[in-house]
Amino acid sequence: MQRRRFLTLGGAAMAAALIPARAMAASDPVPVLTNWYKLTLQLVRHTATYSPPVAARAFGYLGVTAYEAVTACNPAMTSLAGQVNGLTPLPRAGTGAHDMAAVLQAALSAAVAHFFANTGPSGQRALATMTRKLDAQVAEGVEAEVLARSRDLGAAIAGHVCAWADGDGGAVIANMGFPEAYVPPASPAAWVPTSLVRQQQAPLLPDWGKVRTFAMPAGDTCGLPPPPAYSEDPGSAFYAEAMEVYTVSKALTPEQNLIARFWSDDPMLSSTPPGHWIFVANDLISRRDLPLEVSVDVMARLGVAMADAFIGCWHEKTEYNLLRPITYIRRVIDKSWTPLLNTPPFPEYPSGHSTVSAAAATVLTAALGENYAYEDFTHEREGLEGRAYGSFWEAAEEAGISRLYGGIHFRAAIEQGLAQGRCIAAHTVALRTLA
Amino acid sequence: MRLIWVAALLAGPVAGPVAAQEVPQFVEETAAAGLAHQFSGEWEYMVGGGVAAFDCNADALPDLALAGGTAPAALMVNQSTAGALGFAPVDSGIEMEGVTGAYPIDIDSDGITDLVLLRVGENVVMRGLGDCRFERANEAWGFDGGDAWSTAFAAMWEEGAAWPTLAIGNYINQREEAYPWGSCTANWLHRPEGTGFGAPVELKPSHCALSMLFTDWNGSGKKALRVSNDREYYEGGQEQMWHLEPGQPPRLYTPDEGWKRLRIWGMGIASTDLDADGYPEFYLTSMADNKLQRLVTPGPDALPDYTDIAWARGVTAHRPFMGEDLRPSTGWHAQFADVNNDARADLFVAKGNVWEMPDFAMADPNNLLLQGADGVFVESADKAGVASTQASRGGAVVDLNGDGALDLVVVNRNGPVQVWRNTGPVGNWLAVDLRQPGPNPTGIGAWVEVRTGDHLQRHEITSGGGHVSGIWGPQHFGLGAATEAEVRVIWPDGRVSDWQRVAANAVATVTP
Repeated sequence: MQRRRFLTLGGAAMAAALIPARAMAASDPVPVLTNWYKLTLQLVRHTATYSPPVAARAFGYLGVTAYEAVTACNPAMTSLAGQVNGLTPLPRAGTGAHDMAAVLQAALSAAVAHFFANTGPSGQRALATMTRKLDAQVAEGVEAEVLARSRDLGAAIAGHVCAWADGDGGAVIANMGFPEAYVPPASPAAWVPTSLVRQQQAPLLPDWGKVRTFAMPAGDTCGLPPPPAYSEDPGSAFYAEAMEVYTVSKALTPEQNLIARFWSDDPMLSSTPPGHWIFVANDLISRRDLPLEVSVDVMARLGVAMADAFIGCWHEKTEYNLLRPITYIRRVIDKSWTPLLNTPPFPEYPSGHSTVSAAAATVLTAALGENYAYEDFTHEREGLEGRAYGSFWEAAEEAGISRLYGGIHFRAAIEQGLAQGRCIAAHTVALRTLA
Repeated sequence: MRLIWVAALLAGPVAGPVAAQEVPQFVEETAAAGLAHQFSGEWEYMVGGGVAAFDCNADALPDLALAGGTAPAALMVNQSTAGALGFAPVDSGIEMEGVTGAYPIDIDSDGITDLVLLRVGENVVMRGLGDCRFERANEAWGFDGGDAWSTAFAAMWEEGAAWPTLAIGNYINQREEAYPWGSCTANWLHRPEGTGFGAPVELKPSHCALSMLFTDWNGSGKKALRVSNDREYYEGGQEQMWHLEPGQPPRLYTPDEGWKRLRIWGMGIASTDLDADGYPEFYLTSMADNKLQRLVTPGPDALPDYTDIAWARGVTAHRPFMGEDLRPSTGWHAQFADVNNDARADLFVAKGNVWEMPDFAMADPNNLLLQGADGVFVESADKAGVASTQASRGGAVVDLNGDGALDLVVVNRNGPVQVWRNTGPVGNWLAVDLRQPGPNPTGIGAWVEVRTGDHLQRHEITSGGGHVSGIWGPQHFGLGAATEAEVRVIWPDGRVSDWQRVAANAVATVTP
């Protein structure tokens, strides 16, 4: 048994996260997986088109890429071809030996380069450095013929997945996802822009609900009941929801403030909400020494479920096109009110973070167990200490309510978002993988 | 206060009444002027590319010190004549590689302007010797140039100090190949000690500064240090403002003091008192939308709480205003300056893709936003002839030929420096040159006020800001149709001069 090795790529910047977790084989593929995900989290933050739905989509395809790379060399695993929408049978290992780490490295390096082709100069530089160093690492001790065969297989798998991805309707993002114009409907309940940023005067990615799903049949599969009917009557349910957001914001406790910031996960300032959950899973793979097969299964299911979650969530957001708390509260309750968090530039119902967190919690619980206690260090490098959770669902529910503390969602959007995420992820849980 | 004024040095556009938002015509004279220089470089030079515009040979015309990146920096002596710009390179002593930006300032108060060269590597202070010659002064002045990727500068004289305090902003760790994110290195504060500088004080936390500016933001007479930071690389960062009290360590403004968190791709700071209420507005360049900040509640007890009025004033400049490329813009150097002399500050913004970032415009024209009487700015760069789509970085809006019409020089990354001559039409104008005995001879930190009728203009005399580019020379004011104006100065020590009447179309030298 040889040591599992991690690349030292970032000096002080990444050293803490890259400390070897345990002893493993020299060609251990798991560090290849975790190192690529660590870089991907940075690329999500630093690539301008990577809003949360776009990030979730990339995590879906990267998860499938990694899973299929391992599956190609492991007959005991079941391919997702034929199980997820539109994925045809992938290349498999033929005759001759293959090195698993080299296959995975070739597949992930090609796939990450494909999905982050638009990243900036530092991202491109980091991509090239990661590829070069991991290529060298996995090549150590591997015969040239085996290495070439393995790289060919990994590249073929990545090419297959990328071609599949290109046809899903979400591959091209123009103007960072914002349409050129938006005319709000006449209804007072309709979403209106809430930002002074010129680019954000139209809702982000209004057609994202039409993107091809992975495991669930379509974007409308887990539809939601309508939110409380719009009303400015102080006796109405809608007014009560708004007043709850307003009242909570006026007496926010330090803990509530911290929770709102911990789950804020702003695009271009963090790895976004799906990146938050990817960080958690990737961190657990390293800290808990999860086996390779389990690791790629977890990352594939997590990516697929979150990608579907955003498609389903956006479908409902467009369907109901509900205004944000800041619009209603300033109109009806207090014209000077400002929420703790910046209000995202798209409709309110349901809460995207709630939907995606419930989806994540559902698949992680199915894969790793109920009451799986862990610490979440996602924002440690930003100066926010890790938070401990007794289960994935405890974290998901906190993520949901954080949006009320932050003043950007009503309670119904959170509760229904969590329900929708659970529904959507059930389709992912039903996928056959390791059996 | 003493006033000395001289007429325009060179004949130029006929100054006089200018119609509202009349667009001055700029003629590019790069080739004809002999201005052959380029800021070059790859990753370590994706930011930077500055110019210092100042008179180094006492002929009252601004000469140009140009950063070169991987190429040597260059000093171009201004040989402009009436009707034509002209420059000639000279061996000045600044011809070193690795220069990202340059700022002119008379550090030793000897009446000869010195230069601060920001570099990838060691920063260098260059003592002016006269006749556009300079010598390295790091050792003589105790200046520790460090070893970093320096990308921002600001300077001021602290109360009672004989030497200036220099703030230098640093970017990411240039040796961080794989994970540059989160590797922002410490900014430095070089405070005076004896006849030079003490060891630099680290301004921690530092968040990859691309612009700095000392400013009397609240009219208190005390300078604070604003720092604009690039969110692309910091973790846990934001825009910053530091208290700087004499003899005290620097201290960040906090939320308890009203500071509001803002996280942008901060690349350049321009300031001016747009509404002449005594409190400067700040323009912050970024990617996509740029910001124009005004105090929420101006007044003696103002909190550092700003509202963004960029959209209302027409200066978001968030995407190319012409051409087919509608992807978001990338803004760098910004400068308020009255280019048509209608007595209202206009705004120039240098634009250019960072480096093959396909989510942002590649053909990203520079902006020239002319302010109207209603305070709203109107894009005019194409009409004025300055809408270059090179990858612009630094620049200077400055009267290069002494005719009272502000000209334009722009530094482009991996492209030629460009220069345009302003041929008018422009209104009347006034240039105010501050001179005081002893330290801080050029009055950094002073406010100059110019009044025409009931119209007041106020300029804070600063050293810093923009994007790695600085100007030293007389403060330019457009006067519109007015043929005379009143001037007064609030000196850095708080003394306020009397209003003095001066004739238009001249340079007025003001002393305490």
